[in-house]
Amino acid sequence: MKHNKPNTGEATMDTRRIANRLAAFGLASSLALVTGTALAIPFIQCPGDDLKSDGVTPGHDAVPEPTSPNYDPSVKCMHLIAGDGYVRMADGREVYIFGFGDVTGVDEDKVMSQGMLHATFPAPRIVLEEGQKFYLTLTNVGMVMRPDLFDPHTVHFHGFPNASTIFDGVPDNSISINMGSSLTYFYNIVEPGTYMYHCHVEAAEHMQMGMLGNLYVHAAQDRLPDGTTFANGFVHHTGNHYAYDDQDGSTRYDVEYPIQIGSFDVEFHDADENVQPLPFADMKDDYGMLNGRGYPDTVDPNPVTPPTKNGNFPSQVEDSRIVAKQGQRILLRISNLNVTRFYTLRTLGLDMEVIGQGARQLRGPDPDGNGPLLGKNVYYKTNSVTLGGGEAIDVIIDTTGVPPGKYFLYTTNLHYLSNNQEDYGGMMTEIIIN
Amino acid sequence: MNIKRDIERIRRRLAVTLMLLGMIASPAGVWARIQGVTGVQGPKGPVFHLTAGSFHITTPDGHSLLMWGYGIAGSKTQYPGPTLIVNEGDQVTVTLTNQGLPMPVSILFPGQHRVVATGGSTGQITRESTGPNDTVTYTFVASHPGTYTYYSGTRPGLQVEMGLVGALIVRPKAGADHAYNDPATRFDREYLLLLTEVDQAVHTQVELGHLDQINNTLTHSTLWFINGRNGPDTLYDDNVGWMPHQPYGALVRMHPGEKVLMRVIGGGRELHPFHTHGNNFTLIARDGRELSSGPGQGIDLAVSDYTLQVQPGATYDAIFEWTGEKLGWDIYGTTAGGRPHTCVDNDGDGFDETTHEYCPDHEKPIPVILPENQQLTFGPFYSGSPFLGVLGNLPPGEGGMNLYGGMYFMWHSHSERELTNDNIYPGGMLTMLIVEHPSVPIP
Repeated sequence: MKHNKPNTGEATMDTRRIANRLAAFGLASSLALVTGTALAIPFIQCPGDDLKSDGVTPGHDAVPEPTSPNYDPSVKCMHLIAGDGYVRMADGREVYIFGFGDVTGVDEDKVMSQGMLHATFPAPRIVLEEGQKFYLTLTNVGMVMRPDLFDPHTVHFHGFPNASTIFDGVPDNSISINMGSSLTYFYNIVEPGTYMYHCHVEAAEHMQMGMLGNLYVHAAQDRLPDGTTFANGFVHHTGNHYAYDDQDGSTRYDVEYPIQIGSFDVEFHDADENVQPLPFADMKDDYGMLNGRGYPDTVDPNPVTPPTKNGNFPSQVEDSRIVAKQGQRILLRISNLNVTRFYTLRTLGLDMEVIGQGARQLRGPDPDGNGPLLGKNVYYKTNSVTLGGGEAIDVIIDTTGVPPGKYFLYTTNLHYLSNNQEDYGGMMTEIIIN
Repeated sequence: MNIKRDIERIRRRLAVTLMLLGMIASPAGVWARIQGVTGVQGPKGPVFHLTAGSFHITTPDGHSLLMWGYGIAGSKTQYPGPTLIVNEGDQVTVTLTNQGLPMPVSILFPGQHRVVATGGSTGQITRESTGPNDTVTYTFVASHPGTYTYYSGTRPGLQVEMGLVGALIVRPKAGADHAYNDPATRFDREYLLLLTEVDQAVHTQVELGHLDQINNTLTHSTLWFINGRNGPDTLYDDNVGWMPHQPYGALVRMHPGEKVLMRVIGGGRELHPFHTHGNNFTLIARDGRELSSGPGQGIDLAVSDYTLQVQPGATYDAIFEWTGEKLGWDIYGTTAGGRPHTCVDNDGDGFDETTHEYCPDHEKPIPVILPENQQLTFGPFYSGSPFLGVLGNLPPGEGGMNLYGGMYFMWHSHSERELTNDNIYPGGMLTMLIVEHPSVPIP
C-alpha cells in the first residue's frame, strides 16, 4: 500500500546511517586496495590523452591533448562514474538515487574519491557529432549507501544502430563492470538523431533509481561548405543546423533543447535506500519531471539547491527552460525514460511539427533505394505528443509571427502536474519567446 | 538477497533451455514461418473448428494461474489462441464451441469486413456459444493481407484478461515470404510478438467462482507476457512439453543481412513501448494496412524507429535488419587476432556477398582493451568474445548459454517495471534476438 512518509525527524538517523555506511564502504575500499591496487585507478582509454589535467604530468583525465602523437580530432572522449547519490525534488524532499556522474577532465587518481556519492540526475548530457569516434569510459565507484550491494553497472546507448553486443550494455548478454573497475565503450557515430542512455543492469531497479540521461548526435550536414545547394533549391549556409541529414533543409533549427520525460516513485527509492523489498508491480510514480526536475525547478537556470545527504554536492545541474527569439526554429529532442507509463506533453499556444522519431528523420523510404530521390517527408503538426519509455521524437516549433511571451510545455496526464502532494508543479516547463 | 537467488534460479533454467534448444533437431526450411494452423479445407475455403475452455499455466515466479483460451477442437486449449493462417481471398469459416466456460463466449475479427455470424446464441456485440451444444459460426472473406488479432466479444474486459485472444495472419497473393503484395515487404523470417498482461487477482476470483465480484476497472497487472509466456519462458522452443497450454515461444533468430518480419500485436488492455535492441526497425503496416499514401505508391509512408508504441488491440508489421554496418571494427575479428576470414564485395554494395559482413570495416581491430575477467560480471548469454560466432574463454560457471557465439539483443517492453514476474526481476515482457554467425543453421 502507498503511504507518504513524513520527512521529519529522520535527519539525525540518516546522518548516522550515512556515517556508518561510509565507514563500511571505506573498509571495503581498503580491502580492495590490499588485494589489488590496480582496481583503485580507473583505466581510461582515450586516444591522445597522455597527460593529466595540468597538461604536464603523464597520466589520464579523458581529455586528449592536441600535442599528442595519437591525437585525432574526430575522437571524442568522456568519463562517467556510476554510483549513488541524492537529489532534491521540487518540494524540497531529498531522494536517494543511483546515477551517473561526469568525471571527464578529472585526473584518474582522483576519480574514485570525487565520484563516490556524487551521482547526478539526469545523467550527464552526452552530445556527439556525426562522424566522431566516441570512447566512453565507465568507472563503477560503488554505492556508498548500499554497501550490501555489489551491483555492476553498464551504459546502454539506446537506439545505437547496428549495435554490437559487447558495447550494448545488456548485462545478461554481455559484460558489466564491477565496483572499483572501468570499462571503455567504443561507438562509431554514424547516424544523427535523438537517442538516450541508461544503465541496463537490473533495469527495473537501476532505471527507476535514476541512471538515465540525454544523448543526441548532431548531423554532418551542419558542416557542409557554405552555399551548398540541395536538389530542391535549398541553400545551406555556414551556421545552419539540422536535426538530420535531410538534403532539403526541412529539419533546420536555430536552437535545440533536449527534454527528457521522467518520473520517480519515492516509495521505491526509500525502500531501496533502506534495504527493503522492491515493489515492481506496485511501482507508481509520484514525481513528474523534465530533465530531472519538477516545476518550478525546471525553469531555474541554476543548479538545484544541493541535497545535504550527499554533502551538498550539486547533483541537478540541468534545467529545461526553453528560450528563443521570435522567428527562430526551436528543435525539441523529446525522450521518455520513465519505467512505469506513457506520458503526453502539450504545447500551449504553439504548434509542434514532428520531424523525427527513434533517431531517424520522419521520412518514407527512398523510392528507388538508390538516391538521389528522397522519400516523402511524413511530418505532421500537432500540439501534443505521446511517448512511452524508450521512445524519442524530434519536434520543431517555428516561432515566426509568435508574439513574445511565456508559453508552457506540460503533461496532459494532469495528475503529474504536481510534486507529490504539492500542486502547481511536476512535469512542466516554460518556453520563453523574446 | 532473495532477488539475487531468484535470478540465479532463472539463469539455471535458462541454461537448460539453451542446451535443449541446441539439441533439438529442427526440420530444415527455406525460411522460418510462424507456427500456426491453416484449418481444414471446406467446400468454400479453410475451416477452423475452435473450442473455448479453461486450463492452468505455471508462471516463472511459481504461480499457478487459471486461464481461459481458444483451441483447435480435439486439441488443447491454449494461451494465446491458435494462430490462424489463411491466404488473401480465402472464404474463412470459424466455428466456436464453448467447452465449459461459465459464461457465453464469442470471437471478434477486427480488420475483417462483413463478418457473418450464424448459429449459437444472441450476444451483445456478436453471436456467442453458451455451451457444448451451442456452436456459433463466423464467416468472412480474408480480403486484405496482413497481421490481425482476434479475441472474445463477450465481456471482453474479463475474457481477454483470462486469455481469449489470438493472432490471424492473412498471407498475400505475392507469396508466403511477403507480408503484403508490395515487393518491399518481402522477408526472410517472420516472428509473432503478441503482448499481453495479467492481473492474478482476477484469475483467482474466477477460480473461486466469484465472477460477480470482478471489477475490470480495478485491474492491476502483475505479470506480462509475449506469446502467452513470461520471460524467460519466452526463450524456450515452441511446443515444449512442460508448458502444454503455452505452445508459442518468442525467441527471434536471424543471420546478418536477413530481413525479419515482426508481427506485433497489442493483445491486452495496456500500452507497451516495445524496444528492439540491436537496430531500428521499419514500420510497414498498422492494423493490416500498409503504410501507403495510395494505390501504386508502395509503402511510401514506412518509417523507422527503435521503440514501437504498441497500443491495445492494434497490430503492427515491421521489418528488422542487422548487419553490424559501420561499427568501425571487424565484428568477425581480425587475422592478427587469430580470426582470419575474407570479405568479398563484388557488387559494390559494401557487403560480402554471402556473409553480409560490412567490408570497409574488414580487418579493423576492436578499438579498446576489454577489462580483465575479475573486473567484470558476465551475462549468461555472453559468448566470452566480442566477435560474432566466436566462443571465448570465460571463468568457470560464467556464460555457457550461448551455443554458437551469437549476439544476443534483448527485445522488451521499455516500461521496465513490466520486466518482472510478480515483482521478481528479470522476466515479464522480454525476449531475445540472436544474430547468429552466417554458418550457423537456423531452422
